[in-house]
Amino acid sequence: MGSLRAFAVSLCGDKERADDLVQETLFKAWNHLDSFKEGTNLKAWLFTILRNTYFSERRKRRREVEDADGTYAGRLATHPEQHGHMDMQDFRAVLVRLPDDQREALILVGAAGFSYEEAAEICGCAVGTIKSRVNRARNRLADMLGLANVDIGADTSDTLGIKSA
Amino acid sequence: MSGTPSGTEPDGGLSPTLQAHIGRHVRAVFDEVAREPIPEHLLRLLKDLERSGDK
Repeated sequence: MGSLRAFAVSLCGDKERADDLVQETLFKAWNHLDSFKEGTNLKAWLFTILRNTYFSERRKRRREVEDADGTYAGRLATHPEQHGHMDMQDFRAVLVRLPDDQREALILVGAAGFSYEEAAEICGCAVGTIKSRVNRARNRLADMLGLANVDIGADTSDTLGIKSA
Repeated sequence: MSGTPSGTEPDGGLSPTLQAHIGRHVRAVFDEVAREPIPEHLLRLLKDLERSGDK
């Protein structure tokens, strides 16, 4: 459930909305339990429901929340729960500036522990699409953090100490 | 601002070090929320759903 919440937060950027989303998801999942096939991936199924719920809600609210990304993104980036590490704050700030589909793919594959295939099913697209979104997300993050211009890879030594620009 | 990536990997052009660096941060941001205790009302909901499932 924790990762479901975290995914919800990454989508709407707001913990309260995220919890509402999770709640709706649980209800829906429960009501559609008969459509869930035994032996298939429960976690992926829940993530799919959550994602679909989020996007259909957003379509309905489009007029209301014209700058949804901006508002939620802003809230996510400035969330009070900071570790006090400039790194984390900077990173969170650029993470929300990624296009939705890229951030989502990166989180599903890189943080939520899904395979490319599972992520593709959750997002309803091809595996190749997920892969390219993940790559683009990483590249864009590196760009935004200024890391691509730093010789972090060219060095043979471990230069992990380089903070975001 | 997109300069030529230094590490020419087949998947994206980022060096493994950089990919790992980014991956670590993505996971850290995600885990920060994922590791929080589940809010009471959600736990209760789960329990209620389970109970109601005993048809």
